[in-house]
Amino acid sequence: MSTRTFAAIVVGSFELTMKIFEFSGKNSMREIDCVSRRLALGSDTYAHGRICNEKLDEICRTLKEFGGIMKAYKAEAYRAYGTSAIREAENSIIVQDQIAQRTGIRIEILSNSEQRFLDYKSVASRGESFRRIIEEKTAILDIGGGSIQISLFDNDTLVSTQNLRLGVLRIQEYLVRFDVKKSRMEYFIDEMAMAQLANYKKLYLKDREIRNLIVIDGYISPLAVKLTGGNSGKAVLDREAFEGFVNQLRTENPEQVAKSLGMPEEKVPLAFISAVLAGRIADLMGAGQIWAPGVTLCDGIAYEYAEKIKMFRGEHDFEKDIVACAVNISKRYMGSKKRAETLENITTTIFESMKKVHGLGKRELLYLRLAAILHDCGKYISMVNIGETSYDIIMATEIIGLSHAEREMVANIVRFNHGRFIYDGQQGGARGMDKETYLKVAKLTAILRLSNGLDRSHKQKMKGIKAVLRENQLLLTIDTAEDITLEKGFFRERTEFFREVFSVEPVLKQKKTLQTQTMQK
Amino acid sequence: MKNKFFTRKFVPAAQIRRLRKGMVTDMGEIDFCNPKYYTNRELSWILFDHRVLNEARDKNIPLFERLKFLSITASNLDEFFMIRVASLKDMVNARYEKRDIAGMTPKEQLNALDVAIHNLVDLQYSTWNRSLVPQLEKNGLQIISRHEDLSKEEAVFIDQYFEENVYPVLTPMAVDSSRPFPLVRNKTLNIAALVHKKNSKDEMEFATVQVPSVLDRIVQLPAAGRAKKIILLEEIIERNMHKLFLNYDIVCAHPFRIMRNADLTIEEDEAADLLKEIQKQLKKRQWGEAIRLEVEDGMDKRLLKILKSELHMEQNIYKIAGPLDLTVLMKLYGLEGFEHLKTPKYTPQPVPELPMGCDIFEEIRKGDILLHHPYQTFEPVVNFIRQAAKDPEVLAIKQTLYRVSGNSPIIAALAQAAENGKQVSVLVELKARFDEENNIVWAKMLEKAGCHVIYGLVGLKTHSKITLVVRREDDGIRRYVHLGTGNYNDATAKLYTDIGLLTCAESVGEDATAVFNMLSGYSEPLVWNKLSLAPLWLKDKFLYLIEREKNHALEGRPAGIIAKMNSLCDRDIIAALYAASAAGVRIDLIVRGICCLKAGIPGVSENITVRSIVGNFLEHSRIFYFENDENYEIYCGSADWMPRNLERRVEILFPIDRPELKAELLHILQSHLKDNVKASVLQEDGTYEKVDKRGKSRFQSQEAFCQEAVRKASAAAEEEALVTRTFIPEVHQ
Repeated sequence: MSTRTFAAIVVGSFELTMKIFEFSGKNSMREIDCVSRRLALGSDTYAHGRICNEKLDEICRTLKEFGGIMKAYKAEAYRAYGTSAIREAENSIIVQDQIAQRTGIRIEILSNSEQRFLDYKSVASRGESFRRIIEEKTAILDIGGGSIQISLFDNDTLVSTQNLRLGVLRIQEYLVRFDVKKSRMEYFIDEMAMAQLANYKKLYLKDREIRNLIVIDGYISPLAVKLTGGNSGKAVLDREAFEGFVNQLRTENPEQVAKSLGMPEEKVPLAFISAVLAGRIADLMGAGQIWAPGVTLCDGIAYEYAEKIKMFRGEHDFEKDIVACAVNISKRYMGSKKRAETLENITTTIFESMKKVHGLGKRELLYLRLAAILHDCGKYISMVNIGETSYDIIMATEIIGLSHAEREMVANIVRFNHGRFIYDGQQGGARGMDKETYLKVAKLTAILRLSNGLDRSHKQKMKGIKAVLRENQLLLTIDTAEDITLEKGFFRERTEFFREVFSVEPVLKQKKTLQTQTMQK
Repeated sequence: MKNKFFTRKFVPAAQIRRLRKGMVTDMGEIDFCNPKYYTNRELSWILFDHRVLNEARDKNIPLFERLKFLSITASNLDEFFMIRVASLKDMVNARYEKRDIAGMTPKEQLNALDVAIHNLVDLQYSTWNRSLVPQLEKNGLQIISRHEDLSKEEAVFIDQYFEENVYPVLTPMAVDSSRPFPLVRNKTLNIAALVHKKNSKDEMEFATVQVPSVLDRIVQLPAAGRAKKIILLEEIIERNMHKLFLNYDIVCAHPFRIMRNADLTIEEDEAADLLKEIQKQLKKRQWGEAIRLEVEDGMDKRLLKILKSELHMEQNIYKIAGPLDLTVLMKLYGLEGFEHLKTPKYTPQPVPELPMGCDIFEEIRKGDILLHHPYQTFEPVVNFIRQAAKDPEVLAIKQTLYRVSGNSPIIAALAQAAENGKQVSVLVELKARFDEENNIVWAKMLEKAGCHVIYGLVGLKTHSKITLVVRREDDGIRRYVHLGTGNYNDATAKLYTDIGLLTCAESVGEDATAVFNMLSGYSEPLVWNKLSLAPLWLKDKFLYLIEREKNHALEGRPAGIIAKMNSLCDRDIIAALYAASAAGVRIDLIVRGICCLKAGIPGVSENITVRSIVGNFLEHSRIFYFENDENYEIYCGSADWMPRNLERRVEILFPIDRPELKAELLHILQSHLKDNVKASVLQEDGTYEKVDKRGKSRFQSQEAFCQEAVRKASAAAEEEALVTRTFIPEVHQ
């Protein structure tokens, strides 16, 4: 049988959802079942900081049922993720452990950036509709329970992504806490949101014109799909239609809205907050169209799994988005674009030539490239303490698509590139890293350090670098007619750590091309 | 289980609010909700029972079939008392005075019913005494209605029968200061007597004995020749009463029967365990308030006074001129030797698309299959579950059960499937009226076999008939669905007319999955592809479809509605039909039972016809046709156009998409409209009249469907025989 069945589970702030997918050569990726049960975990976490026992019991009961459904479909694999409600709960680890003990289902916690990245993948899973829309200037507004994420696209490339603590459940908590009357709700949401959105506009949006706004949420996006006939590709509303929809939510009582729009009544207030937020952000950006594809995190999880097991090959290059995101961070902190490109080129060349020795894969190469791009972002704060300041900037800035742990790896590589490598036995060395991560950091730091030495002058002299591994030597040949005395000096200094990590001796050779020789004459 | 989605309150859509406001037509502004345009549902039901009674009175029908119809009127009436009259009485006791759809208060309804039911009962017994008993005698079956009429030999036989068979199971009970008035169980037949101690001048005492239900109520007397003679058990007991009260003299003895309020009051919201709560309430059913007292005509006044006083009864006392509880006639129907006085038994025919021994899944993959029961056998539905239970590729079976038969092969197949490791989820509706006890037994049995059993939803009855089989195939998961208008009951499927659909359409499969997810307490899907569900969306769907026809008519496009159902009493739907009729839509309704709509009102319902078909089979299918500007749509479903179906039950409406099947269903509807034998047409004055056959050839729809099913099955069998007999020469190369 050429099909595979997979279950994607999300323990969200408002509900627990499981989707069963089938991957096959013929159908690619097909959703065959979707079950969800309302459980307002967010109201516990956001209001009291922890998940209570009653809710935990309910999570376990529901997950056990999910397990039964998975079994019925003979699902071969599953991924279960918890989002902000579990992530931000003080008792998160205990909750995860209890769930594993009582249900056998292991919940992994998604960092905000991972979650947004998967959400983003869920939109990309819509294929042609997604490709078409991001050809124009587009923003993705991902509305969650705890926060919202705004990602900006330009010509098929992600240019920025920012997280704002304006999630619908969080806002609803405030509305309840401050006993805001229905007639004043919109004003209240406006005041809360606009304070943050104005800063966002000043810092990130500037004069950028956005034509399309893609909305990912569990409230208005599914509704839009429903209202436009169930085809997510066609769930595009112009501003007028969207305003009409908001107006219905604004004027009718929840019972009427639930009935006329065919949605659960308890979701109506959240849909209203979501719609107001989407409307304000569309206004802020001047977006003329709103596409609400009705996708959920589960779709993104399945998409990622299908890619991983090679049952599905998406056409969008997500790595390009992660790199683009790092480039934009570098730009914001006045990093040198040219230097970053040179460094990225050298590190990639060395990484590829050393594959047999380091045994690292594509993902680790991405960390290395990101570290190369962000290697000097800390200079924005301090020209002296670059390692530490770069580390702090990277750790404080989200890179969509990277987990917290992955971001920490990148930050450490950058940090050790500038300063002394701290060994695991030394105080503050591994900083809670496991052995595998520690070794990856060491290996990638060694490569970055060596590469950094090769462009010490920041004059990009090493454009035509070639690397060949011969027995215990890494032969680096550079095609340049320029004086590389400075680089050679730093290169020698930095080979020591490289040798220590790989037991490979880097050797630098300069090759002068005919043209340059002629010029020199 | 509590299901917050299905139990959401029904909110009238804008369309309903508009309808309730009234509409401006050529006739001026008309308020289609005006009570004068509606018939009270209880009185309409009485008219239905009269139509059944008419069958018992129809001399063109074989004599024993007439007995059956009379028996049906009696069991119908019993249920009507236990539920409807009881409910009205509760309302009166609670001083609830809200008027019904026809503007009547509960008290007014009870008064009107009192008159109507007495007339009905009088007609039942005059039919029995004047028509059926003489006819039975003429045909060799004599009924001894009074033990005093027994011959000497017969009396000896009867007395001996009493001593050997009856006496050991009787429990006589006397009432005096130390023994309170006993519990007289609901629907049981009893004999009340006044007794006093022998040779004593003491006051008379009341005594009673229940006619045991474990014994046959019909006792055949030895008779010479082919003629048969029977006597009823209560007469035998009455004759031998003195043997029960040895030291007493029997002053008088008469049979009586009471009906109690059997409408369960289940505190669902408070019930931690629905199953236990229902079991608790079922016990109370025997103790419900007495609603109706039937006594033998001529009962001693003193005896009647005691009964009335002890049972707290003033109204609904029926003095019966004949045997109490005419449901006994169904037993009489079963007497051997009278086959010539019955309609020949019809055997449900095989379904041509599903030849014997076929792989049902393979056949469904070829295209949707329509089943028309009881003309076609119910066996494919049973086989669908049986094959699924055995098929190694089947992953899951999900089904809703409302009423199932005594020894249900479906239950057995589901249990087998669970034992074979399939995931089996069954919603057993514990609140199915009068089937509560059965369903509890089935639910427990299924649970024991390893099925996941849902005991229905709080506040709602799950009346939908749907089965989902999830199967893993080479090209992925495929879902097979059976949707029906009738219960998964192989016994009633031989008597009730119903429609079933077998399909593996992806769109229906997705919806079916969503239905079961919702029934399991999960959220509703993003969008429904094909199915419409009550209580959340179905009423709006019907209103939309009716309004669409109205708009077609107003715009001069072809418009029309043919709808077949069991009952029509939803005010919003009726108002929408009136509005459509006023706009010029031709509406033909085939409503077997209650119909609160009035036909032929100028400017309101002059384009509406209503007919009711009462035949050998119980008309049970719900089929809805909408002309839709010559692009007609046909739907089938489990719901009638009643508030309870549309607002308080889980029901499913499904469209039929395949053109051949749509044509088949339209043919069924048109055949019903053509029926001039079993159809009664609702008149402007609210009465029903049989169709005037003068100058027309006789056409009976049920008979025609039987013939069609036989023809189709024979043609398929012949074709199959031809294929198997065809000689295909082997070619050697």
